[in-house]
Amino acid sequence: MNWITLEQLLLKAQPDRAVTVQPALNHAQLCEQALSLAAGLQAQGVQRIAVHLEDAADLAIALLGAWRAGVSVLLPADLQAQTRQRWSIEVDLWLTDQADDAHLSDYQHPPLPASPLDLDRCQLSLCTSGSSGEPKRIDKTLRQLANEVKALEHLWGADLGEACIIGSVATQHIYGLLFRVLWPLCAGRSFVRKQLAFPEDLQRASREHSAFAWVASPALLKRMGDNLDWPALSAVRRVFSSGGALPADAAQSLHERLQQWPTEIFGSSETGGIAWRQGQNLWQPFAEVALSQDSDGALLIASPYLPAGHIEHTADAARIAADGRFELLGRLDRIVKLEEKRISLPMLEQALMTHEWVAEARLGVVQENRASLGALLVLSEQGLHALRNQGRRTLTQELRQHLSQHCEALALPRRWRLLRQLPLNAQGKLPQADVETILLAPRPKAPEVLEQIDTDGEWSLQLAVPPDLAYFSGHFPQTPVLPGVVQVDWALSLGQQLMDLPAKFAGMEVLKFQQLVRPGDEIQLHLRFDSARSKLYFAYRNETATCSSGRILLEAASDA
Amino acid sequence: MSDLHREIKELIIDALGLEDISVEDIGDDQTLFGEGLGLDSVDALELGLAIQKKYGIKIDADAKDTRNHFTNVASLAAFVTAKQAA
Repeated sequence: MNWITLEQLLLKAQPDRAVTVQPALNHAQLCEQALSLAAGLQAQGVQRIAVHLEDAADLAIALLGAWRAGVSVLLPADLQAQTRQRWSIEVDLWLTDQADDAHLSDYQHPPLPASPLDLDRCQLSLCTSGSSGEPKRIDKTLRQLANEVKALEHLWGADLGEACIIGSVATQHIYGLLFRVLWPLCAGRSFVRKQLAFPEDLQRASREHSAFAWVASPALLKRMGDNLDWPALSAVRRVFSSGGALPADAAQSLHERLQQWPTEIFGSSETGGIAWRQGQNLWQPFAEVALSQDSDGALLIASPYLPAGHIEHTADAARIAADGRFELLGRLDRIVKLEEKRISLPMLEQALMTHEWVAEARLGVVQENRASLGALLVLSEQGLHALRNQGRRTLTQELRQHLSQHCEALALPRRWRLLRQLPLNAQGKLPQADVETILLAPRPKAPEVLEQIDTDGEWSLQLAVPPDLAYFSGHFPQTPVLPGVVQVDWALSLGQQLMDLPAKFAGMEVLKFQQLVRPGDEIQLHLRFDSARSKLYFAYRNETATCSSGRILLEAASDA
Repeated sequence: MSDLHREIKELIIDALGLEDISVEDIGDDQTLFGEGLGLDSVDALELGLAIQKKYGIKIDADAKDTRNHFTNVASLAAFVTAKQAA
């Protein structure tokens, strides 16, 4: 291979060097288009641009052209209205695929002369969500990026050889940008222009090349099925995985199918790559990365991929082994990753609590086929009113709608549990593990007994009807009320717990349902057993009136 | 609603863990991904696996546009029927 350093990519056009296919682009064409863009940006007097392009070759042209013109580049995570507004004062121009923005094809200027790029003055800014959930800008110099691609080539360049680089991840983020664009550009490896999100597309692209490697994410790698032609795919030179943890069973399954372990990269937008592993539990730091820890065990990173002299304080707890490798022990903050997207639970909880229906909210991760968020809610008066009069589905949909202004669809809670209060522990805390246990438990079927008083064999119970009772969903979807059959069942089962009753249900008499019992209501239940007649008398009352009453006939279990 | 349509809707609800949505809430021709039911690309991957497992069929990875079968319940049902007949 013939390596060209990142800063020298525009120096000498090489028509024989392929950049990408479909449509084909060689290095000379890349240089010409980049230098032409540079001339146009200079003519416009532009200083800072935001770039969001689907096509990895277009992105390469945009980056090199902007840098040649001395223009700094911001890569926004998406093009949502809020994102645009957030960055609008920091950029002069948006270069994207969308109709109202500037396009690469607008720039047909006579190219600027070739010249090396300045490693310390060329700037790139990446965007990610910070610990508060606010979008965060991370500024990098070309030097940091150049150091990283050099290290990657040193580690894996020989293995990859002439492999075409095929990616399932976006190039707006550090991993896709380095692995799908900048590294192959410097190495002279061709790359596939588009992000391929589905396994079938990845397979078809792979078949078109005699040598290929994947730049993938756990989201894809853990969902590759038996329908794929694994013997053909096992020619893959290397399978990179990054953006989040790859489950051990997914790594194992890839190993069985491909006879090689995926190469996992641990890093972040802030730090770039920190470490890698292949079929091991422990992570191997990249050669020039220096690790230490704070008193909480959080990793501290010094690295040539960070600004000189900077030590990045991560929230990743770790245990460093004697040989310098390390084990990750989880996050120290409440940032979670869902399908490689960084999500701040406190930010979403605050956003939920700005809705008038919500008094308190706690979020947790529900691990099922896919990990998603679940929400524990204590409803406000208005929220309870909405639940009673519009039903649970309307309530949760409205809250999802409300949250969608604050986060991506992927972060919207899929499971909701409505509680009367948050079950805080003795320290006044609700540990994250408890949140997740409640989210995994089925919705309640029994009332909460607040008080029970025995007066001469007659029982008086104070009950709270859980707002999220399982029976409410079907009865009725828009106006949940406590079904009569459930009221009879509760009377009998509570009576059996408190009194010595005959075991067998033998019928009911004079049932009356007069008032509706609704989610969140507190009601009184009176129970009296007439042993002479073998009848359990029950009556439910709310503050003002009797809700229902009746008699349950009981008999001893037959001797037969 | 045919049995297959209902079954596929149940599969969507179960496999994707959708709360507060019943079979009646999903239209045969309702778009499943993006707008419409609001499912995302990870749901598409999950559903692809679930359909193959449930019906013992394989999505032909070398055919183009295999993901068009996942547009809505009706197209999924047609795909399953065709695959089972093959």
